[in-house]
Amino acid sequence: MVKELIEYIALALVDDPSQVVVSQHQMGGRTRLELRVAREDMGRVIGKNGRVANAMRVLLRVAAARERKQATLDVVEPR
Amino acid sequence: MEDGKTMLEVIGPTVEDAIEMGLDQLGLPREAVEVEVLDPGSKGVFGLGGRQARVRLTFGMIKKEAVSDTGTVQKIETEQESLSLDTLTAEENQRSLQVASMVVRDLLERMHVRAKVSARYLQVPDEVEQPTVLIEIQGNDLSILIGRRSETLNALQYLTNLIVGKELSRWVPVLIDVQGYRARRERQLRILARRMAEQAIHTGRRQVLEPMPPDERRLIHLELRDHPHVTTESIGEDPNRKVTIVPKK
Repeated sequence: MVKELIEYIALALVDDPSQVVVSQHQMGGRTRLELRVAREDMGRVIGKNGRVANAMRVLLRVAAARERKQATLDVVEPR
Repeated sequence: MEDGKTMLEVIGPTVEDAIEMGLDQLGLPREAVEVEVLDPGSKGVFGLGGRQARVRLTFGMIKKEAVSDTGTVQKIETEQESLSLDTLTAEENQRSLQVASMVVRDLLERMHVRAKVSARYLQVPDEVEQPTVLIEIQGNDLSILIGRRSETLNALQYLTNLIVGKELSRWVPVLIDVQGYRARRERQLRILARRMAEQAIHTGRRQVLEPMPPDERRLIHLELRDHPHVTTESIGEDPNRKVTIVPKK
């Protein structure tokens, strides 16, 4: 499951792992991942100019391709 | 170390690799150390999940053997001192290697990429303040790990650096290579730099190269730094920043 890759990275980067949630939505052949972290950790998973989030997307693409799927990642603002 | 001996424990894919890595780290020849195999390791069913080999290198016996004149003794004793000072960090350095290779293994596993991962230091840890960890990934058909303009490799390296830094609570530079790709690419870039420089001189016009990541641009600048007839500069913004080669007037 591609979700595990994002979970692993997010858990490793945040200060507050208890707030890390990755939800997975299936739309046909596409998987949409939503990553939620504590507000204080948003910067850590997004990075300057979105560099961290984009690096996660690059690895996610590889992981999804191995499962013959396509996957996207959104970092969602905490409520 | 009253008896002048110090130990270093190293892990590696095989016993031989572990010994090599240890000697590399210490900057010592094979004859200078005593090797004790703590764990011969095992291959594991899928290449992944195998146990690494563990060896202990004992060194510091040089003093008794290699003495010809007072100058030599002096020099060896100084080396001994610096080695003993660094045995504290030798453990830290060893842990950095372990953490870095573990992070890369974890990431690859979750990317469903099966490969062999080994870690060693690029420099002798005793000689530089912050040695760079080199992670080498070996396996079949790993082009997927490199990607267009080494995009995947750089993303993997970037995230690994962040995770390792967080885990160790200090910055440890980690360089990742796949199947010797970086060395090959370096050679190609040097040749490219030379060729484009010649073209710049020949045509009298500036040559604009493909967009490249920072480390690759740096290599081009370095290669042509002392070139008598061209200068180089980078233009544009990442990720589309490009090196241009300008003929000197």
